[in-house]
Amino acid sequence: MPAAVAKPRRNGLALVIALIAPIALVNAFGFLAPVLNLARMSFYEVEPTGTMREAFSLATWGKVIADTFYAELIVNSITVSLGITLLTLICSYPIALYLHRSSGTWRTILLVLVISPLLTSAVVRTYGWIAILSENGLVNNLVSGLGLERLRLMFNKTGVVIGLTEILMPYMILALLAGFGRLDPRVEEAASTLGAPPFTIFRRIILPLTMPGIALGCLLCFVLAVSSFITPKLLGGGRVFLLATEIYDQAIVTLNWPLAASLSILVLVIFGAALVLYTRALRAIL
Amino acid sequence: MQTSTKLTMAIALAAGFYAQGTLAQQQTVTVMAYSGLFQERYTKAVIEPFMKANPGIKVDYFPLPNSAQMLGNLRAQKAAPQADVVIMDVSVSKAATDEKLLIKIDDKVSKNVSDLYPNARIADVDGVAVTFDNLVMLYNSDVVKETPKSWMDLAKPDLKGKVAIPGMPDIQGLSLVLIMDKARGGTDYLKSVDQGIAALGEIAPNVQTWEPKPEVYPVIISGQAAAGAGWNARAQVNADASGGKLKVILPQEGSVFQINTINYVAGGPGKDAGAKFIDYALSPEAQKSFTESMFYAPTNAKAQISDAAIARTAVKSMDKVIPIDWIALAKVREPIMEQWRRKVIPLSR
Repeated sequence: MPAAVAKPRRNGLALVIALIAPIALVNAFGFLAPVLNLARMSFYEVEPTGTMREAFSLATWGKVIADTFYAELIVNSITVSLGITLLTLICSYPIALYLHRSSGTWRTILLVLVISPLLTSAVVRTYGWIAILSENGLVNNLVSGLGLERLRLMFNKTGVVIGLTEILMPYMILALLAGFGRLDPRVEEAASTLGAPPFTIFRRIILPLTMPGIALGCLLCFVLAVSSFITPKLLGGGRVFLLATEIYDQAIVTLNWPLAASLSILVLVIFGAALVLYTRALRAIL
Repeated sequence: MQTSTKLTMAIALAAGFYAQGTLAQQQTVTVMAYSGLFQERYTKAVIEPFMKANPGIKVDYFPLPNSAQMLGNLRAQKAAPQADVVIMDVSVSKAATDEKLLIKIDDKVSKNVSDLYPNARIADVDGVAVTFDNLVMLYNSDVVKETPKSWMDLAKPDLKGKVAIPGMPDIQGLSLVLIMDKARGGTDYLKSVDQGIAALGEIAPNVQTWEPKPEVYPVIISGQAAAGAGWNARAQVNADASGGKLKVILPQEGSVFQINTINYVAGGPGKDAGAKFIDYALSPEAQKSFTESMFYAPTNAKAQISDAAIARTAVKSMDKVIPIDWIALAKVREPIMEQWRRKVIPLSR
């Protein structure tokens, strides 16, 4: 009897391995190997001119730990990205909820509208924001038309937050929709029949049931926000210092590849922490 | 062995001989250099005339947006280089030299080397200078009515929020620090640039962006910013295209040279053809043609350049060009960057 039970299980395991092997192989070559290479490079010796030597040196990591600038960079990156994630969630949640409840052609049209920004590159969309937020842009013309003083909406943190929030919204909406599966209109109707006011239904029924979607969307947006550098470069005006922009500067302008590599590893560590938090949150929800 | 296999092998061998045969007639030189405007002008002014003069050599232009990516390619292809010639910034050339990716260009590679200006041959760098560029002040003549004279005019109150300067770590921001440091009595930029940092601190409140994108020139032409700093060659070409909107001046405090070097890749596929191209690129003829096309100052002292073109380079104002040792400067770039972050950026919030 036990043998008979074990056999299909072993077959199942073989099947699992066979199914996972191709993607594992692709990941090993396409992701793991480069990351390991990056980790190794962070220990290379580097000279001020950018000359790099294969070696085992702790100098770069020592600098990253000792220089408070990099600690500021990490804190700044995490707080800005958390802020963007929260804003994206607030802006996307109602849209996702409405989309979830809509049906038929209307739903298809709305879905296409939500996804369509993804068909345009983030660079083009960021330039769009420059046209909207600049001193002579749409918003400021409106503001000055009302007799108010023009606002500084870009080339600072505000611009980066506005731009990235809009750019990440489609991802958030899609992630929310994917996680809304447990939301059953009959439960809401039942609560309503039992006399619960709309806000209570939202707080006690809708919000808890959509938590998996919220967790997934927040994870996705946080990771994308931490790693984005084009939008902060274009809308930050050189005043917003984030991990991703610093990695770009160190790799492309200053030519300190080991430093760029060690900062990239730090970003990976932040992602790891975010994933751990996500799995814990998911376990608490489900 | 099956007939079909034999046949396949015969075809493969024949194809190999054929390919070698054409290779003997037609050599290929791969030139890795800047994309965009540089590629367009350099192809017309230097590469096409070279190919016309050397029908047996074909030049492939491999464009990249910046020197760092060129170094990245050289590093990645160290075992089997794909490029023969690289045009990149002098400090990146120094790194490539130290990593033994290059062959030294001396008068054995090109006789033109002995005709180059002394500052075109840089100690401990295998490449030699092929173009000189210099930092210039830019302004939009629709907005700024009075011709500025000094870099410090960028600090005037009427330019509040209207200044675009590519800030550090870009060397344009660094160059401005060095120029202003000298102007305010600084003597050795390797020891201290406090005066220069203080001057930039005065300009900082006026700065709209330290990262004008895609470049500083269109940002000023479009009126998004009114004045700023950029490189002469691109500024001159953009000024022509702007229909008089963009104006370029060399302020009284002076300027510094940015040096692009031409480099001979060790073990490149084109072999001697690479040296032939380098020889041509450094010749008075090619230097004249490219200066007249894009207004980089020539590095060959024998190049006879038209007065109209030379007036738009820094050649006639050499007394205003502050000599900078970019290689030595690299060692103090980090502390300067630190000061930039703590003493300039916070004043421009």
